[in-house]
Amino acid sequence: MNEAKEKFEPKLVGFLCYWCSYTAADLAGISRLKYPPNIRIIRVMCSSRVDPVFIIKALLDGADGVLVAGCKPGDCHYQKGNYYARRKVALTKKILESLGLEPGRVMLSWIPASEAPKFAEVVKEFTERVRELGPNPIKRSSFS
Amino acid sequence: MGQEPRIGVYICHCGINIAYKVDVEAVRDYASTLPYVVVARDYKFMCSNVGQEMIINDIRNYQLNRVVVASCSPRMHEKTFRKACEKGGLNPYFFQMASIREQVSWVHEDEVVATEKAKELIRAAVFRVIHHEPLEKRYVDINPNVLVIGGGIAGMQAALEIADAGKLVYLVEREPSIGGHMAKFDKTFPTLDCAACIMTPKMVSVGQHENIKLLTYAEVESVEGFIGNFKVRVRKKARFVDENKCTGCGECAKVCPVSLPNEFEYGMTNRKAIYRPFPQAVPNVFTITKEGWSPCRSACPANLNAHGYVKLAHEGKFEDAFALIMESVVLPATLGRACPAFCERECTRGEVGGSIHIRLIKRFIADWYYENVGTKPPFRVDELKNEKVAVVGAGPAGLSCAFYLAKEGYKVVIFEKEAEPGGMVKYAIPEYRVPKDVLAKDIEVIRNMGVEIKTNTPIGPDGLTIDELFAQGYKAIFLAIGAWKDRRLNVPGEDLDGIYTAIDFLRRVNSGERVKVGNKVAVIGGGNSAIDAARVAKRLGADVTVYYRRTRHEMPAFPEEVEAAIKEGIKFEFLTTPIGFEGNGKVEKMELIRMQLGEPDSSGRRRPVPIEGSNFKVDVDSVILAIGQVPDSEVFGKFGIKLNRDGTVYINPRTLETSRKGVFAGGDAVTGPSTIVEAIALGRKAAYYISEYLKKGSLDDVNFPSSLPTVDKRRVLERRKVEVIPRVKIKELPVEERISNFEEVELPLTEEEVKKDSGRCLDCAICCECKQCVKACEAKAIDHQQKDEIIEIEVGSIIVATGFKTFDPTPLRRYGYKKYPEVYTSIEFERLNNASGPTEGKIVMKNGKVPESVAIIHCVGSRDEKYHPYCSRVCCMYSMKYAHLIKEKTGAEVYEFYIDIRSPGKMYEEFYNRVQEEGVHFIRGKVAEVTDVAERPEEEGKLIVVAEDTLTGRILRVPVDMVILSVALEPADGAEELARILGIAQDKDGWFIELHPKLAPVSTASDGIFLAGCCQGPKDIPDTVAQASAAAAEALSLIMRGKVEIESATSYIDPEICVGCMQCKSVCPYSAIDYDPSLGVCVVNEVLCKGCGLCAATCPNKAITLRHFKNEQIFSELEGILL
Repeated sequence: MNEAKEKFEPKLVGFLCYWCSYTAADLAGISRLKYPPNIRIIRVMCSSRVDPVFIIKALLDGADGVLVAGCKPGDCHYQKGNYYARRKVALTKKILESLGLEPGRVMLSWIPASEAPKFAEVVKEFTERVRELGPNPIKRSSFS
Repeated sequence: MGQEPRIGVYICHCGINIAYKVDVEAVRDYASTLPYVVVARDYKFMCSNVGQEMIINDIRNYQLNRVVVASCSPRMHEKTFRKACEKGGLNPYFFQMASIREQVSWVHEDEVVATEKAKELIRAAVFRVIHHEPLEKRYVDINPNVLVIGGGIAGMQAALEIADAGKLVYLVEREPSIGGHMAKFDKTFPTLDCAACIMTPKMVSVGQHENIKLLTYAEVESVEGFIGNFKVRVRKKARFVDENKCTGCGECAKVCPVSLPNEFEYGMTNRKAIYRPFPQAVPNVFTITKEGWSPCRSACPANLNAHGYVKLAHEGKFEDAFALIMESVVLPATLGRACPAFCERECTRGEVGGSIHIRLIKRFIADWYYENVGTKPPFRVDELKNEKVAVVGAGPAGLSCAFYLAKEGYKVVIFEKEAEPGGMVKYAIPEYRVPKDVLAKDIEVIRNMGVEIKTNTPIGPDGLTIDELFAQGYKAIFLAIGAWKDRRLNVPGEDLDGIYTAIDFLRRVNSGERVKVGNKVAVIGGGNSAIDAARVAKRLGADVTVYYRRTRHEMPAFPEEVEAAIKEGIKFEFLTTPIGFEGNGKVEKMELIRMQLGEPDSSGRRRPVPIEGSNFKVDVDSVILAIGQVPDSEVFGKFGIKLNRDGTVYINPRTLETSRKGVFAGGDAVTGPSTIVEAIALGRKAAYYISEYLKKGSLDDVNFPSSLPTVDKRRVLERRKVEVIPRVKIKELPVEERISNFEEVELPLTEEEVKKDSGRCLDCAICCECKQCVKACEAKAIDHQQKDEIIEIEVGSIIVATGFKTFDPTPLRRYGYKKYPEVYTSIEFERLNNASGPTEGKIVMKNGKVPESVAIIHCVGSRDEKYHPYCSRVCCMYSMKYAHLIKEKTGAEVYEFYIDIRSPGKMYEEFYNRVQEEGVHFIRGKVAEVTDVAERPEEEGKLIVVAEDTLTGRILRVPVDMVILSVALEPADGAEELARILGIAQDKDGWFIELHPKLAPVSTASDGIFLAGCCQGPKDIPDTVAQASAAAAEALSLIMRGKVEIESATSYIDPEICVGCMQCKSVCPYSAIDYDPSLGVCVVNEVLCKGCGLCAATCPNKAITLRHFKNEQIFSELEGILL
């Protein structure tokens, strides 16, 4: 077992849509569910707001992984934003591959508002996955 | 902003909720080191007055222009702190919150890690808030009208509350009457109030309230818009009765001939097609269930209302039946004999015993009418018109057109070339199929309508021309010259004596000539004319053989005719055709060649191909050629009337007008040889267009009245169990009795047979449009042409009160529902108790006896993993109510099989005690099965309920007379579709989801849409009424506010950067983006924009900003996290 890897704490950014996934995260808090502390949540109104530029900038600026979470298909508060989010994330992952970045560092998840346990699960799983992948190879050493 | 940011940061302890994991002082100290932070404080409860005052004072004292609070989730207190900023004089959007409770202290264990994360989140908030901009609050007006969906007790209660407050309510109810399920109850628990007594005053209030617009028999089709501004489309279904005129007298239902299972009584009794759901219905008007046209009517080329006259015949109303028939066709007695009956081929009864004898019933009706009433037409002419119309040809098409024009009041003259009217029916169809005296009566009726028939008066080269007819003052002309020219074989010897063409042969015989055909007759052809000719020749004493060039399978003649011919001894030879005739002046021999079937020709039938060298000869005395007819139309071509290549007359397929203005055509002249009914149909259609032409001059916007959709047979057979009842066999004269004469071969049905056969009708379309109701209605309230109406309404809020339905226990076969007649669901038993129900309130079994023992089984479908896990809440109480009523009305032994008794309401427990004291047996145990298999003598003839008594641990077998299943409540039919239309959610059981299960039980996540009653979850009447009043209160509160705040964080497109690619426009879910062609850029419509940000992420040029979620702001937040 690699000592360095054991100590590696990935830095994760999560873009959560206000109506479903952010609410699920709140509910997870209210329910006192425990999950790894590596994730930092940024609120957007809809997962469709997430521009691929956000994901790439996050990875360039030091994030080891980016989670985009939205409403379940059919339940998007704004009708169909989550479908566009899915496409954007899929495309972004392909672009990242050509940059030499593992697609596993970007995750898309549908988390309904009432499913707090799912939120905790997703965060746990994502944290472990990125931990396995190790530090982000393309992060810039200093922030300018 | 121009100024430098001056940020105040506030860390909340939230009591110990944050402080126990996060070192708030350290975080505060850290915050004060962040750029632009002027003041950083921590406090126990930032959301309290003290905390808010702190912010307000700091804004003033430190000239803060940005505020960050690190505390709970923005869902909890973003509004609170924004208000505080506002109070302090700061635009509320200069505020950002960091959630360090839900996202940190409550979810992470390690205090050091938690504190570090808290610091990062605060840093992110500070970096973000630097880039915030002020935004203005936006408001829209609230439309004060309210829509209530559902007219049960919940809907009515809510509607009355709001209407009494002076606001306008639209109450939309799907059934013909309001009242919902409560209208079905007898007594309600625990007070045993009569449901109707307490509810009917409310129903009447609703019906009469000046502020309630009641839309019954209507459904919500679509809802657009948002809180305060909903645009709703309601479809008001056609009930075919004018609500304003109907007095509810019920005379119509007395005469309606159609019965069907009554849905209100759960099929325990029948109702008529025109009905009122229950006597106290509001509105107290009748409704007609009409599902379209029955298949018989749709199949008929004339769309004759076969369903209607069959039903009238069943009632013995033959005169009305005759009138109904003549609304669509003439020559009913002829059709009753010679029509191929396309209707019977489509009759749904055909699948369960054989189709109704629609044709023979028509024959009976016509014959009866002529015998008992005479030949006067069943219509009166309303107003005579001045115009004259000429009809050329007195065959079925011409007679039909003339009749319907005369019915409209026009003066019609038919010009007939032959000596008698009747066309093909008179001259080609043999006497044994349609006796000529019968035809004469049919034609009398037409003459009595005012039609003049000039016989022996040809139009054409030997008589008048079309121009001359117009010159004589006829304003329109209908050509119905039929198809009388026989085709020729064009083979040697065809002109020898003794070789007849079919039409010519038949005409001569029908004119009374005794044609000498000799002994051996050959008939060439396979159509109806060939068979007619063959059977006539047979009756003239000949030995007849029919020669057809294809096989029997391809013969176009009616199969019944071919059958009859074979029975009469006529021989058939297939796959052969003549190539020549020999004889000395008169034909003696016929040479034929054998054929085989090759490739299909244009008619789809396989083309016959001669086989080389297969010639053979036969002896013949006469030959009758029946190989097809065409119209003899050449002369009309000279009158400026365009003809098709085969000689048929060219017409506009919609209007039946020929190429010459004012001249119309129909019948065989247009279609080629066809059937009588098709000719009659075209004649009537032409009459319609001619009449419109004479009234309007042009036919551009005129359309023949459209048909209704045909009812699907499958639907009809699924409605209820249909017994197979075979049809009466058609009786014919025995062959020996008919072969040497022209007596009518087919025998009629007797009146009894007609009534019996018509009784098998399945009422496919339900209402048969027999119009007996119209006749009976003194208020003239019935309108069979009524169409569905779409009503568009605008409301500010919507209350959903769609109620429930009961669980169907058929899948639980062990309980025997639908298997044993004495197993009832609770709602069915409710109807037995109701005084206006199927037993007038008496508890009796189907055999009329009073039950001596009744078992009531709780939790059928409820508290059941396989069906519904929930408790339906009302069943224990109503089960005990039944026990009490049964005891009171019959004194029978009552056994309640329960799992737990739920009696939580006011006076409920007391009622439970009372019922126990009345001697009702309570057995705690789920019932395993209900069976009729007796194991002991006392169980004979009873239903045995087998259950475990868990309190004694014994298996019981309890014999009873009647079993009641207390079934679960389920969401009403259509709940899923309504949820989609409104944009509200359903939980896993299908009930609509409230905003918060404890604190907001009547609102939904969609602002402006409220819930009332069982649609939100099973409940009893007191709770339903309470919830309905609550929903009304919330709606009224909204209306009182007058305005509602809408999203301020909308999108903005920078016209300097936008290139007008319209990507944003194509993705916006709210169509909130317009393209401005004058500027070549896209513009956001702020009223419609909901602020999702999809456009901002889509724009390839980054020309779009989503206010309060700008790229800048998000990048800063990221920077704060990742630094």
